[in-house]
Amino acid sequence: MDLNEGSALGVFRCKLCELSSPYTFYGQKPPNTRAIVLLEECYGMKDPFSPDREKFLVLGSKCSLCSKTVCVGPDCSLFYTKRFCLPCVRDNIHQFPEQIQAELVKKKTIQKTSS
Amino acid sequence: MSRERDKSQSWDWESRQCRAQLDEIFFRQHDYIQTGSAEHREFWTFFERFQRFTAKRDMSGSKSSRQESHEKKANKKSGSVDLGLPKDYDARYRINVSVCSKDVEERLGRSDHKKRRETSGPGRQEITDCRIALLHFLDFNQKQSFSKLAKLRKEQKSLPIFQYRDKIVELVRTHPVVVVAGDTGCGKSTQVPQYLMTSGFNYIACTQPRRIACISLAKRVSFESLNQFGSKVGYQIRFETSRTTATKLLFLTEGLLLRQIQQDASLGQYQVLIVDEVHERHLHCDFLLGVLRSLLPLRPDLRLVLMSATINIKLFSNYFNGAPVLQVPGRLFPIQVFYQPIPPEEQGSRSEKLDPRPYLRVLQGIDQRYLPEERGDLLLFLSGVAEISTIQDACQTYATHTQRWIVLPLHSTLSLAQQDKVFDIAPPGVRKCIISTNIAETSVTIDGVRFVVDSGKVKEMSFDPKAKMQRLQEFWISRASSEQRKGRAGRTGPGICYRLYSESDYDAFAPYPVPEIHRVALDSLVLQMKSMGVGDPRSFVFIDPPPASSIQTAVTYLREQGALDEHGELTPIGRLLAQLPVDVVIGKMLVLGSVFKLVEPVLTVAAALSVQSPFLRSAQHNPDCSTARQPLQSNQGDPFTLLNTFNAWVQVKKDRGSGSRKWCRRRGLEEQRLYEMVNLRRQFKELLRTHSLLEDDSGSRTGPQDRAQRRERRTERQKLHKLKRDHDFQENTKRKVLRLEEGLEGDGSSGSDEERTASNKRKKDEQTVDIQEVKFKLRHNVNELQEAANASADLSSRQQSLLKLVLCRGLYPQLATPDEHNATRKDSEQVFHTRNKQGVVIHPTSVFASDPEVLQVSEQESSADKGQSNRHQLLAFVTLLETNKPYVSNCVRVPALQALLLVANSVDTNADCTRVVVDGWLELGLTDGDMALKVLSSAITLRGEWERLLQAQLGQGGPGSRGGLVGPKPSRRDLDKLCEGLVRFLLYTEVSYSLRRLTGLQSQNLYIGPQQNTDLSSSSALGFLFPGMKTEPDPIKGGLRVSHFFTYNCLCDSMDLYSECLRTFWSCPHCDLYMPLTPLERMQHEATCRPEEEQQPEEDSESAQTSASSSSGLTRVYHCDLCNKDLTLTSTEILKHKRQHLS
Ligand SMILES: [Zn+2]
Ligand SMILES: [Zn+2]
Repeated sequence: MDLNEGSALGVFRCKLCELSSPYTFYGQKPPNTRAIVLLEECYGMKDPFSPDREKFLVLGSKCSLCSKTVCVGPDCSLFYTKRFCLPCVRDNIHQFPEQIQAELVKKKTIQKTSS
Repeated sequence: MSRERDKSQSWDWESRQCRAQLDEIFFRQHDYIQTGSAEHREFWTFFERFQRFTAKRDMSGSKSSRQESHEKKANKKSGSVDLGLPKDYDARYRINVSVCSKDVEERLGRSDHKKRRETSGPGRQEITDCRIALLHFLDFNQKQSFSKLAKLRKEQKSLPIFQYRDKIVELVRTHPVVVVAGDTGCGKSTQVPQYLMTSGFNYIACTQPRRIACISLAKRVSFESLNQFGSKVGYQIRFETSRTTATKLLFLTEGLLLRQIQQDASLGQYQVLIVDEVHERHLHCDFLLGVLRSLLPLRPDLRLVLMSATINIKLFSNYFNGAPVLQVPGRLFPIQVFYQPIPPEEQGSRSEKLDPRPYLRVLQGIDQRYLPEERGDLLLFLSGVAEISTIQDACQTYATHTQRWIVLPLHSTLSLAQQDKVFDIAPPGVRKCIISTNIAETSVTIDGVRFVVDSGKVKEMSFDPKAKMQRLQEFWISRASSEQRKGRAGRTGPGICYRLYSESDYDAFAPYPVPEIHRVALDSLVLQMKSMGVGDPRSFVFIDPPPASSIQTAVTYLREQGALDEHGELTPIGRLLAQLPVDVVIGKMLVLGSVFKLVEPVLTVAAALSVQSPFLRSAQHNPDCSTARQPLQSNQGDPFTLLNTFNAWVQVKKDRGSGSRKWCRRRGLEEQRLYEMVNLRRQFKELLRTHSLLEDDSGSRTGPQDRAQRRERRTERQKLHKLKRDHDFQENTKRKVLRLEEGLEGDGSSGSDEERTASNKRKKDEQTVDIQEVKFKLRHNVNELQEAANASADLSSRQQSLLKLVLCRGLYPQLATPDEHNATRKDSEQVFHTRNKQGVVIHPTSVFASDPEVLQVSEQESSADKGQSNRHQLLAFVTLLETNKPYVSNCVRVPALQALLLVANSVDTNADCTRVVVDGWLELGLTDGDMALKVLSSAITLRGEWERLLQAQLGQGGPGSRGGLVGPKPSRRDLDKLCEGLVRFLLYTEVSYSLRRLTGLQSQNLYIGPQQNTDLSSSSALGFLFPGMKTEPDPIKGGLRVSHFFTYNCLCDSMDLYSECLRTFWSCPHCDLYMPLTPLERMQHEATCRPEEEQQPEEDSESAQTSASSSSGLTRVYHCDLCNKDLTLTSTEILKHKRQHLS
């Protein structure tokens, strides 16, 4: 008996950073999670870092504007009532609240100094 | 706002009851997070933090949110597409999870009703607060796990091998054999198996030379392949496996894969085989490659990947028909090399201690040149343990003075806890100075090393076939090793390597180390080859064939040991030995022990002799440890001390469980070794059982009354399994920081330090589970073990002597005889001799090193009659290893004459049997010819019977057996009688004899050689008298060959001419024979003539013919029908007794 041989539906791959991993569910309802509902259609898998077989991990979803598949990593996308890939956020930056704008500016400078 | 404040007066978040009410809503039994789980506890901790955070934000936040809504209005005007985002920022909008709240709302409604009566229930606000906290908690967990995943993927991508991923997969798809060569740090061991797994290959096996690597790689790869809690990736080593039917990738040792090939020659269970670290050229690996090479044509679908450092790659590629090579650059930082050859005045001679000055200069230099804040540890390579301890002492003095170093030794004889210290972290401003053998060259990888000091020396084991001795010698290392050592400085940053030799020395080094197959004894290899049916070992195509003489030596040895017959084919015992993953001598003990009722102690001894000694060397000079060890010691020999120790440990395990840890620490014992013993012991037991050498005792344990017990055990096991899982889960614990005085503390060493570490450890012990104890309990039934231990504790002197005989026959020909002048020497200067090596000494760890008197014949006794005594003893030993001296270790003492006559391969006598030469090197002189004859005669009979019963026990089902029939199992009665006979022979043979070694010249001129002697005709004429025994003239030695080990009258000084004159009238006590007979004739008759009452009616004529009589020892049990009594008498006495009735 194995705890996480859940059969993969395919391989999730982020269009921006190329992070990839097999996913075992797609949708708003991770399996066996009763009261939990996702607010977007997500690619997800069993949380590989938890011994508990019911725990899930969301890998990513489609950008609500450009429909690109992106991972949930902060360098690729953000969620603000909907999923936005960072390029789309930048294109529409002024519609986002100040907090997010500030975050993005900060991220840019960090990337610049580190590279 | 005011309402909220009202609530908070009656609602207390800290209160257990209040929280429990919310648990009822959010954390029910089937919810994502359940009350009582670890996550549930984490949530409430998170909740507290979250509340503090929101409170702080609320205090300062109202302003900014106003600003934000203001700005938003401005944005709306300029934006082109309306994204419909909420006007006011709320962190909740950033969470993509919600907790479905319908049923929660219902509860809320109800609780609102209730609230009118009970004011303590959670209100709408509390539920909302809790839900929001829960959402944040879920989001937080998601972010954490995702960032782990992202980090993991980033690390994988940054490995040098990542660029070659597709190329590797492509090559493996299109070629049966691929060589991947990459230097340390390129990531081949962890990544290549994963690449193959993700690209659709299933059933991958990856071999490793070391067990520990199998476990750590399986752990790492299962983590990286996101299967940490599954069994897709597993390992299998000698006693442990995590393999299940779901396992797709298995890490296993080379030896284990070979064993699997032994079971299934085509290895049908695997699709891909990866052989890692082939460049290390271990014996098993070289052989494995050879076996796989011949397997490939039979399995065209099989894929073989060889992984190697970038050493001698062509060799491997060529061996596999020009297999493609993919070379991956390593990831090493630049390393500066300084050649600092040791000046002649500091080189010292061989016998002197190593001069520490060159090493100290390096430490000083580092202190002068680099700021203490610049981190980076030092790794120092020396050849051996003695050298390490010398340099360690000197460095420690320096370290104590400067307070800038922590000096730590590293070698395999240290306790595991001590070894583990090298991974701990030095406090700021202090560096670790790790002084290591070549164990740190490949086996142990320590991060954070910036400086390497390379002595250029290594001690390597080699086998001297002439002296039949292992030798540990110091050599210059190879260029490959030298580079490997250097590389250890550049794993985490740029490094520096000091070579304590010159560049020209380096250039003169051999390019590669000598492969193991050219250095070691090949007995086990040849045995395994025979049992795998790979054909003649001499013509097997090795990658680098060993010298033919090594193979010949091994074949001869195995023949001597009875594992191969004269045609070089496996004997039944050899077939069995090939299954046992131990030395031939130890395997023999197991088989022999199973014949007698000595299984339990023999299992323990065999296991104990197959693992490293549990007695820590460092504790030997600690008086407390010595005192505590005292009751465990046996002056019968080291195997008995080990047996006592194991039995005592099992008792402690039963009484005190994990308290055994402390018990071991007190005695300076490495408990890990005892765990290994108990595991190995169990494996041996199972092997004996599968070969029906051990009765299955499971039947005795299945009474109905045991049902409750079994249930209890089942629940206990479940609990233990959970403990093990939990332990595995949290195992990546953080490294602790070393204390400055760490290097000063020995391992379990003296007084106050020990107390201090013990008390520190105790604190830790209480918190952490003793995982070894858990595994032990899972694997073993301690009650059963204790029964077994009881069975082998308190052996009677009879059992003890029989056990010694079993050990001695197992260990034969590894025997040593005391030097005749030992009685006049100091304890520390006792000398012994083996057949092939003169002047060996007893290893200081042996009981006989501290108590040599027990080996000596008391002085008055020996001087009385030219060394005549019946107390001569020999040592049977497990290892003979030459380091600075040739040492024998793990010794047991045995009575010389009896042991030799019962186990030796060659026993030669003169005409009246007063002079006996054993194996051409030991001479026994007996004065009483009559007595000599009796003793020899008993020995021959006993051996014949022993052999017969042993063969019967081994099933006789092999192709070598007559008619291929499985013979009857020896009866208990026969076995008991044999035991009785052997014990009597061992304990009660009262005969005085001298024991001496023959000089070289004497052993050269030992035999009369073949002669055309008239005497021979007389022997054949006598044939009718002795139907069972065929005596033939020995074609080499001369004289008569009476049995495969005994040749009569072949010694040069024998009174051959007069042998006819030695005829004396003699009456057989069993039949009515009365004739003038020579000693030989008498013996032959005695061996075949059985008294009527001992004839077994069920025995068929065939076995009666071939088997020797079981009757004659010096005495035997005789049942007299007339007195209706069992009498223990010698043959002559029986005869007298019978006559008594007649008259
Ligand atoms: Zn991404
Ligand atoms: Zn987008």
